[in-house]
Amino acid sequence: MKKDLKIRLLEVFSPIFAFIIAVLLSSLIILAINKNPIEVFYTMFKFSFRRIDSIAIILYNATPLIFSGLAVSIGFRVGLFNIGVEGQYLIGAFCAALVGFAIKGLPSFIHLPLVILSAILGGMLWAIIPIYLKVKKGVHEVISTIMLNYISLSLIHYFIADLFLDRNQKVVLGLGSTLIRMPKIMPSALMPKMHGFLSLFGINLPNHVYLNWFFPIAIILSCVIYYVIWYTPFGYELRAVGFNPIASKVAGINPNSLYIKGFLLSGAVAGLVGLSDLLGYFGYMDLDFPKGYGFTGIAVALMGKNNPFGIILAAILFGFLNRGAEGIQTFLGVPMDTVVILQALVILSVVVVSEVMIRYIRYLDKKGAKI
Amino acid sequence: MIISEMLASAIRMSIPILLVALGAIYAERSGVVNIGLEGMMMIGAFWGALGAYYYGPFIGIIFAMFAGLVFALIHAIVCVTFKVNQIVSGVAINILAYGVSRFLSIIIFKMATTSPPVEGFKDLNIPLLDKINVLKPLVTHISPLIVIAIILVPLTSFVLRRTVFGLRLKSVGENPLAADTLGINVFKMKYYGVLISGILAGLAGSYLSIEHTGMYVEGMTQGKGFIGLAAMIIGNWNPLGAFLASILFGFAEALSMRVVENGIIPYQFIKMIPYVLTLIVLSGFITKSTPPAADGEPYEGSEG
Amino acid sequence: MEKIIKLTNITKKFPGLVANDNINLEIEKGEIHAIVGENGAGKSTLMKILSGLYQPDSGEIYIKGKKVIIRNPRHAIKLGIGMVHQHFMLVSRFTILDNIILGSEKSKAGLIDYELAEKEVTDLLKRYNFELDIHEEVGSLSVGQQQRVEILKVLYRGADILVLDEPTAVLAPQEVKELFINLRKLKEQGKTILFISHKLDEVLEIADTITVLRKGRLIKTLKRNEVKDKSELAELMVGRPVILKYSKEDIKRGKPLIEVKELIVKNESDRRVLNGVSFSVYAGEIYGIAGIEGNGQKELVDSLMGLLSKESGEILLNNVDIKNLNVNEIKRIGVGFISEDRHKEGLVLPMTVWENSVLGYHRDREFGLWYRLNVNRIIEHCDNIIKNFDVRLSSMFIPIKGLSGGNQQKIILGRELIRNPKIIIASQPTRGLDIGASEFVHQLLIKARDEGCAILLISADLEEILALSDRIGVIYNGEIVAEFESKEATPDEIGYYMTGGKRKVEV
Repeated sequence: MKKDLKIRLLEVFSPIFAFIIAVLLSSLIILAINKNPIEVFYTMFKFSFRRIDSIAIILYNATPLIFSGLAVSIGFRVGLFNIGVEGQYLIGAFCAALVGFAIKGLPSFIHLPLVILSAILGGMLWAIIPIYLKVKKGVHEVISTIMLNYISLSLIHYFIADLFLDRNQKVVLGLGSTLIRMPKIMPSALMPKMHGFLSLFGINLPNHVYLNWFFPIAIILSCVIYYVIWYTPFGYELRAVGFNPIASKVAGINPNSLYIKGFLLSGAVAGLVGLSDLLGYFGYMDLDFPKGYGFTGIAVALMGKNNPFGIILAAILFGFLNRGAEGIQTFLGVPMDTVVILQALVILSVVVVSEVMIRYIRYLDKKGAKI
Repeated sequence: MIISEMLASAIRMSIPILLVALGAIYAERSGVVNIGLEGMMMIGAFWGALGAYYYGPFIGIIFAMFAGLVFALIHAIVCVTFKVNQIVSGVAINILAYGVSRFLSIIIFKMATTSPPVEGFKDLNIPLLDKINVLKPLVTHISPLIVIAIILVPLTSFVLRRTVFGLRLKSVGENPLAADTLGINVFKMKYYGVLISGILAGLAGSYLSIEHTGMYVEGMTQGKGFIGLAAMIIGNWNPLGAFLASILFGFAEALSMRVVENGIIPYQFIKMIPYVLTLIVLSGFITKSTPPAADGEPYEGSEG
Repeated sequence: MEKIIKLTNITKKFPGLVANDNINLEIEKGEIHAIVGENGAGKSTLMKILSGLYQPDSGEIYIKGKKVIIRNPRHAIKLGIGMVHQHFMLVSRFTILDNIILGSEKSKAGLIDYELAEKEVTDLLKRYNFELDIHEEVGSLSVGQQQRVEILKVLYRGADILVLDEPTAVLAPQEVKELFINLRKLKEQGKTILFISHKLDEVLEIADTITVLRKGRLIKTLKRNEVKDKSELAELMVGRPVILKYSKEDIKRGKPLIEVKELIVKNESDRRVLNGVSFSVYAGEIYGIAGIEGNGQKELVDSLMGLLSKESGEILLNNVDIKNLNVNEIKRIGVGFISEDRHKEGLVLPMTVWENSVLGYHRDREFGLWYRLNVNRIIEHCDNIIKNFDVRLSSMFIPIKGLSGGNQQKIILGRELIRNPKIIIASQPTRGLDIGASEFVHQLLIKARDEGCAILLISADLEEILALSDRIGVIYNGEIVAEFESKEATPDEIGYYMTGGKRKVEV
């Protein structure tokens, strides 16, 4: 029993430990450009927690990362690597934007869910191709999803800048040229901010904060995914295949079937990643639509150990880092990309620490030979 | 004339892909999958421009190869020594390279996304052949890097087939256990494979920034690191095959440039061609291709 | 004659097992010395010690009169010991030449001197009469040829002592003849050969001296001319089992619940691993299949469970032709399955004990609906298993890899048997279990049999087969070569057939 407790503790603390290692390594890089790492991290901290609006901004930042982390983690659970979340969420966001502007006259309670559904379908669509290629043709999902990520960039560019370009923009006199964007989404399809709800509790957020209802949706989805993974036969089979496809086969589970379903589910969740920004902030899709959530999602999933609640925490952490990054660039002249570097180092150190831990446990097992 | 122009264009476009593919061959033949080649190329492009800006193109490519080497070292330590999943490591390396390039670019060039223009190598001409008009586009204004890249093809082939290093490298990727029992240091060989792939990827990146575009632009690698991997797969993990596959991709790109000028098909679709092509070719080829038998598997080492 | 190898008091232990127990052995120079024994007798371990892959826990090794510690395979080769593994260590894509020189290449400035290499290898081929084209790819060679390459590898490195681990296990009869010709040639040239095998006919044909190991101990060493016949060796190999008698009710044999007719199964190299197997198992009996591992047992079991497709033949389970059925459908006929490799096929190690207790049955109505696992019910079910099957564990909520092998096996048995299947297929059910756990498993199987179950028992442990079975079939080279009522069976006779004895005239 003592050994099992030891293992449990190690599992919970190893991401934290890995994070600390990543922070130390990043500090070296900061030192290399003659800046003080302690000052840098302190500024990040201060900048992020000064006021209540900062916390709200962090949660807003975290929302897409929760969805992304969930999507990646579902893939990991079934033994696959979905790097295609990046492309899946762009296609999902596009589908949402399309249905958002093209359909007029629908009431909100129909339009908004419809738009969300489109995003889900868009993400799934972009996920069908790689999993089909894997199961039928043996193409590794990593290369195919990476190719599709690039293809999606070009495709989206075409949609935004050409096919669906909003040529009816009203140019505000004196404020410059038209934006390269799709038409604005109908108000009936936008996601309201949480300001009204929060003011009931005496929390009054300023207007420049865009925390919207996708955040609670992300939390709820995390709970749902947790339930599915641990409390349904489907989740059971998903995990079994991810751990041991051979034993699964002997037990009558069809690994390929799970690969397909798991990957599609991953793509479906990926479709939601961009919605908080699209429907809660921008209101339209343009060429500068945020990119990179797919990759951060990998760091979030690994740090959160593929557990939805760990993912929420890791997403908030990265939300905090992204917020703080703005601060260090503005106040200290340290590039924001320090956070990107930190992210990459987190991925590396989490997996290295994880491997070392596995070997350490194996060593413990050998020492106390079981009867 | 047009044909030789196209061919010349195709060869130019193929060089970065070729260099990456050749590097990838060394890594994968030793049994390590290197998805991080894109990042190593990126960092090579940056450092190549950096070196060329301050010290000229020659130092530029030295910087670039060294940068690729450093990143490859990280990948090797993580994957070979710590036996972490090679794909996760590769993806992390790509993110790291992206972050580091932007970071350094802001610090040094004060701009995140581009560098100032840099000096390239003096062009070469092949002496006698440049008198023949038809061949002119092919044999004039050749970057020395193109020559190096092409020479590397038979060189790699030679190394793999006739040197002790090559034989042992291959054995480690096919049957590491057998190699181990014969006294070969499996870990050392894998390190070599990965490091060489990083050096070549860095060189590929420097070609892009120094020779091809004349400056560093963020995102200039555009997935060529991955396409290089695809070229290696299509070429069945051998240098000549990778060369032909790279030419194929180069050709597609050169062709797409011509089509863009025509303006019939939207250029975004033209841009997609290399990636779609990769998907199509991989789907058709995977069942016929034969990777090294122990590719992608971390080696545990034998009992003492 | 000079003793080229002398082993004194060699002992090697693994957790829970004494692989070699105080072995004293002497090998003479220039002889072909066979080491025989059943699975788990310790032959492989001993040879791995000699070839530098393992270190003995105690004892001494003398090679050519000098005391040595063999640190690793490279060192072993330097001492002149070359091991030819049962599972070849070859690079399929390389040529024969490359495989031979790998790691010991003759080179100039980093370039392989292929001219010299070719000459040296060709000379070697001539000297020992091996007929091979050194530029052929190893992957395209027959198994016998590949084996010759393995032998050449060690000869190229100057081995005087060749250790061959079950060399004939994968060879066709003609290839065995060729191998023996090569071995005699090697002996002529002064090489010493150690030959591990369980096939007594072959051993008697080729060996000068024979050493029998059993359960880690050296039983006897005899010269070939001291051996009267095979059964003498079989008896030494197999021993007289301590009377493992379980009290069984008189057999009440019912309908045939397992019927296998002329089953032929091929492997990827198109070789027949099952060559026309036919037998039946009736309700209320235990049919044990005895045989050394690797004679087709796994393929038989996989075919019965619907995991392997057959070339031809028929399988009926409870009178149902399982031709196009999948694993789940077969289980629903009422079949419980205990596979031979619990870690690979029977359990998902990182998942908890309670989750593993329903592996394969997790979609049953009893355990929940499509949208909700009835976790409480599953936990109850697991608890039942733990109580009824004597599983010792600290908690069912820890990953099952934390349980001992014996307890893991009990969970598997509980999982399969608690549903009262009509048919049980048990493959190596007590592998890796201590005596207590093994006995427990045996009692369970007997109880099931008494209650009318048809049990197919596959085991490499002859004692187990003899103790449990009502009828015994012996499998050798993919065929059932003999069948006995267990009352009539003697270990010697079974051992005889297990090791390739010719079939008696069919009654």
